[in-house]
Amino acid sequence: MTRYAIRRILWLLVVLLVVSFITFSLMHLVPGGPWDREKQLAPQVIEALNRKYGLDKPFFVQYGNFLLGLLHGDLGISYSYQDRGVTQILMQGLPITATLGITAFIIAILIGISLGMAAALKQNSWIDYLSVLFSTIFASIPGFVLAIILMVVFSVILHWLPTGGWGSVSQIIMPAFALAALPAAFIARITRASTLEVMHQDYVRTARSKGLLERVVLIRHILRNSLIPVVTIAGPEFANLVTGSVIVETIFSIPGIGRLFVQGIFARDYGLIMGSVLFYAFVIAIANLVVDILYGMIDPRIRYD
Amino acid sequence: MRSKSILLSLLAILVTASLILTSACGTSVKGTGEQILRVNLAGEPAQVDPNRASWASERSVIMQVFVGLLGFNQDLSLRADVAKVIPTVANKGISADGLTYTFKLRTNVTWSDGTKVTAKDFVYSIKRMLNPDLAAEYASFYFDIVGGLAYFSAPDKTDAEKTTLKNAIGVKAIDEYTLEIKLNDPLPTFLDLMALWPVYPVREDIITQFGDAWTNPPNYIGNGPYILTEWVHQDHMTFKPNPNYWGTKPKLAEIDFKMITDANAALAAYMNNELDISGVPVGTEKATMADATLSPQILRYNDLTTFAFQFNVTKPPFDNKLVRQALSCAIDRQTLIDIRGGVGKVALSWIPPGMPGYDATLGSEYAFNVTKAKELLAQAGYNDVSKLPEIKFSYSDTAGNRTIAQFLQGQMQQNLGINITLDPQESKSFQEYINAGKHMWAWFGWGADYPDPDNWLPQLFGTGAGNNHTLYSNPTFDALAAKGLKELDNPTRLKDWADAQKMVMDDAPIVTMFYRERFLLVKPWVKGLTTTGMDGQVAGDMFYTEVYMTK
Repeated sequence: MTRYAIRRILWLLVVLLVVSFITFSLMHLVPGGPWDREKQLAPQVIEALNRKYGLDKPFFVQYGNFLLGLLHGDLGISYSYQDRGVTQILMQGLPITATLGITAFIIAILIGISLGMAAALKQNSWIDYLSVLFSTIFASIPGFVLAIILMVVFSVILHWLPTGGWGSVSQIIMPAFALAALPAAFIARITRASTLEVMHQDYVRTARSKGLLERVVLIRHILRNSLIPVVTIAGPEFANLVTGSVIVETIFSIPGIGRLFVQGIFARDYGLIMGSVLFYAFVIAIANLVVDILYGMIDPRIRYD
Repeated sequence: MRSKSILLSLLAILVTASLILTSACGTSVKGTGEQILRVNLAGEPAQVDPNRASWASERSVIMQVFVGLLGFNQDLSLRADVAKVIPTVANKGISADGLTYTFKLRTNVTWSDGTKVTAKDFVYSIKRMLNPDLAAEYASFYFDIVGGLAYFSAPDKTDAEKTTLKNAIGVKAIDEYTLEIKLNDPLPTFLDLMALWPVYPVREDIITQFGDAWTNPPNYIGNGPYILTEWVHQDHMTFKPNPNYWGTKPKLAEIDFKMITDANAALAAYMNNELDISGVPVGTEKATMADATLSPQILRYNDLTTFAFQFNVTKPPFDNKLVRQALSCAIDRQTLIDIRGGVGKVALSWIPPGMPGYDATLGSEYAFNVTKAKELLAQAGYNDVSKLPEIKFSYSDTAGNRTIAQFLQGQMQQNLGINITLDPQESKSFQEYINAGKHMWAWFGWGADYPDPDNWLPQLFGTGAGNNHTLYSNPTFDALAAKGLKELDNPTRLKDWADAQKMVMDDAPIVTMFYRERFLLVKPWVKGLTTTGMDGQVAGDMFYTEVYMTK
């Protein structure tokens, strides 16, 4: 297991290196650079800017400098927020995005698993239909529509919650729900399906016929086994939520990193793009690794060699 | 993908419409009664260093914290701020040859930490702005200062050489309160340039001590009516009155600049009384005007910005002046204004109303007239429009521009039977495409950096000029522009620019479409808001000392 984890982490470094090179090349291939403005800057100014930000150097030198900086934990400078380093900008947005993402993840897991389990245990009852209805609706409403509906209802009409910003509990409620809706719907569906499947397994019947308490059967035999598919999607979902949502962060004016990444792309802010992409790659790779290790804990049949 | 994004935009419009419809039950009519103004900066500024800053959101911040030698009045005439008087030849502020400017400074001007603002602060600021290592975006405006271009063009020189070049710049403090600036050539609009933020004073000791971090509060020391007390990145900025302000004290106790990037969210925040001034999302102006609660809160005013279709005059059929004139006659500008909810004013000529150089009568011969358009096309040899090469229209793909492109396509089809291809592009790619002159026909706009025709003509229509994307070239125009840029006699100078503008309109490298109008919502309790044709991101940002709130 430890050897497996170490091997995976070494591969992670290779993955990050490849991702960084591909992103770096793509950025320089895309038409339009950071200084292409509606009002064109004077040629002397563009030259000075290129020099200041090292863009006058050959491609491989620029990439080499980037890697060198990376070794020191320095992701370079941002062109859109010129007085702050990319590391500093990301570090400022990260806790915010992570807090929001973890809150949304917890909400999604709580709602998703309980709704899915309830639906499966009372198959074809009103709870089941309600759960299916819920998951169908929230799986099909785009995030930005849900976000705006929430905002219209709770801010504009009822005046209960602020429309956006960051810093208080009241500001986290709407964005967390807007983010949680889709994964909650997916988790509910998958939990329901896998619980139904597990409920009809032989070992469940055996457990019941052994005379075990229904509660024990439910928790030990059904819940635990039905969670494997849920963990499979929960990992990427977690990565997805923690790396931030452009739409939700934009609509609720949350100073997280999801919004920064997209702004970076539109502004051709090479430093910010590289920093965010590497960060995303890192989080997604780690989340997948954690999921793979969790498999082994939940299902002893899975071995790593 | 295409149909999906259309669906998404439709949904967005529906949601906005519902937002506006629900406003009746949502907006209370009472303010907080506190002297706090909350406005939307719509995003984090790139930085707020006056020397390096660019237009719009950056400038809106700087206007609160700094005051220059000169400034603009509401009608955009010049005003002496830190300078005692506006230099003229008569008061010996400008030498007879127009090459030396002497500014006498007020002696009571202080920084927000209480120390005096002196001529040395301006010397430092201007030289710093021209430093090639700083790479200030507006530096090119000041290349006419003696030694300016030489210093800025020396990024590869050694530090010693740079110091020599820096010392050779023609800006010096004669005494504590007298600043002298020497120019290479007469520059009649130099005083306008001296009213812009890149030459506002900055503090050498603070910048030396804190480096790039000098713009963070509490290091961000200015000489303006407010101080920046808090900057939560990507979230908001808070300004409080400067206790050491030497001018008329502001009436507000606080200004909050929020950074809401989504236009729908900004409107929702306005309706939830989190903002006192807000814009409305593109395309919802009509719905806003129809809304009983919101319509009395609408504020509309003209902006010194003109939008136009630009031809690439090197590409057939647009190398033919008659074709360009014909297409200008074939577009019904008023229809576009109507589509845009009546926001904006029809533009028949280039320089907008509200500044010197505007000519209300110019361009009427190329106004909407289909008969004339067909005649001109026939004269150009295109009796049969199917003989025209394929015409491609490029634009930056935004919600507003999409409407404009479809409008143009419709006009060409309806009025002349010409089919044009639409070529939407991502914003930066579009700009590169235009800068490289690859386009055939494209959409663009130009806003005033300062209110003078010399900011509107040579840079755009001079042969080879940086912003000349029509690739128009006319030696007579170039000669006139070269003269106008240096002409010290104002009536003669304005006449030169009038002639130059007429020349451009006749040659029709562009089809002017409309002058921009700003469309905002302002809460009834906001009083004293003073807007100009050159406001930055935030409306009325040049006069926040006069704003106050009623209950």
